[in-house]
Amino acid sequence: MLGRFEYARPQSVDEACRLLAEGGRAAAVLAGGTDLLVDLRNGFRSPSLLVDVKRLGELQALKTRSDETVVGAAVPLNVVVENRELRKAYAGLSDAALSIATYQLRNRATVAGNLCNASPAADMAPILLVLDAELTVQNAKGTRAVPVATLFTGAKRTCLVPGDVVIDVRMPPLDGELRTAFRKQQRIRGHDLAVVNAAAAYAPSRATLRVAVGSCAPTPVLLEPFDTKGTSPQALADEVLRAAAAATAPIDDVRASAAYRRAVLPVLLRRLLADVVSGRGGGI
Amino acid sequence: MHDIELRVNGHAERASVPAGMTLLEFLRDRLALTGAKEGCGIGECGACTVLLDRTPVTACLVLAVEADGLDVRTIEGEAADGELSALQRAFVDAGAVQCGFCTPGMIMSARALLLRSPHPSDEEIVEAIAGNLCRCTGYEAILAAIRAASGTGGEP
Repeated sequence: MLGRFEYARPQSVDEACRLLAEGGRAAAVLAGGTDLLVDLRNGFRSPSLLVDVKRLGELQALKTRSDETVVGAAVPLNVVVENRELRKAYAGLSDAALSIATYQLRNRATVAGNLCNASPAADMAPILLVLDAELTVQNAKGTRAVPVATLFTGAKRTCLVPGDVVIDVRMPPLDGELRTAFRKQQRIRGHDLAVVNAAAAYAPSRATLRVAVGSCAPTPVLLEPFDTKGTSPQALADEVLRAAAAATAPIDDVRASAAYRRAVLPVLLRRLLADVVSGRGGGI
Repeated sequence: MHDIELRVNGHAERASVPAGMTLLEFLRDRLALTGAKEGCGIGECGACTVLLDRTPVTACLVLAVEADGLDVRTIEGEAADGELSALQRAFVDAGAVQCGFCTPGMIMSARALLLRSPHPSDEEIVEAIAGNLCRCTGYEAILAAIRAASGTGGEP
């Protein structure tokens, strides 16, 4: 038994919002459950009500048109991994999803859940930051867009409030070629969180590079955009490394020391930049 | 308490369960289907792997009430009329079973793989069972068993 709590499976988003608003801080959204149920078991959280949003139709949308990419909040990671249109448009997104946990867990875990759990090491965060993704969030008062860049307010903390339901994650329209990649340093493939993770998105026609780093600060960090015009790959890499070092503050924890994180971050970033700038394609 | 209806290995089941009961507890304690094991209880080891609507999940991280209306398959659904499935037979023949604790979950992950990819590559096999820890075999015999079962069909 994972504890004493109530369970509700609302039939509509409105009903879910109402239940969550009534429950306040004692209510929790249940999507894939791969973080929440572990927290219940370990006694880290003890909500009195779980509101299961998995079967709500709006949260199961998956659109991959060139002008609109939408991943519903209840779409399991494996569906993202296996979607060929998504891989074609955003290889870094597919690789980030594939890097999370195991096949069984990816059948339950969701993109939105990975974000809302707000781990500093969340693997979906860096790639969605560099893609300028937004969450569609609904509550009793209405619907609003929350940029992923403003979602995280601290380790395991977000700007979402009781009564909010994340409906989907939206990527802006693709404007010309965009090369994306994700890299993750972990101790064991398949069963480990990131020691350091990072994602990049490079738009050659606009000479713009975006880079985000995870697991090196209380929240995932999006660096200021880089102008790649007239910059050699070496000079660009040096610039990215300087910016990343300045924007992060790694700590010692169970997975790695701060010193190791500081040492491995430049290595990971150089590989990441080779992935996108030279167009060599990604890899984890 | 929540009233649930689900199919388990082809049988319709109805039950009343508390919200905090996991699918694994429901299968083991209510239905006496003790093939799925609790190893870690936090989705790391895969010993509790069952199929939920044909996809493998760790039953320790699914609430019984979440399985309402869905189709569950466990290791007990593999053998028919006392005959091992081809996949189970391949595990026996390859010596892929030692202590046996991981085996039910391992076979369910392999079953799900064969359902979605009847002739899996070695890479696919490795990825499919990456979430099933085995501390005895060193995995080679398990890979051999799943290779041998390739092409025997998704259904047991």
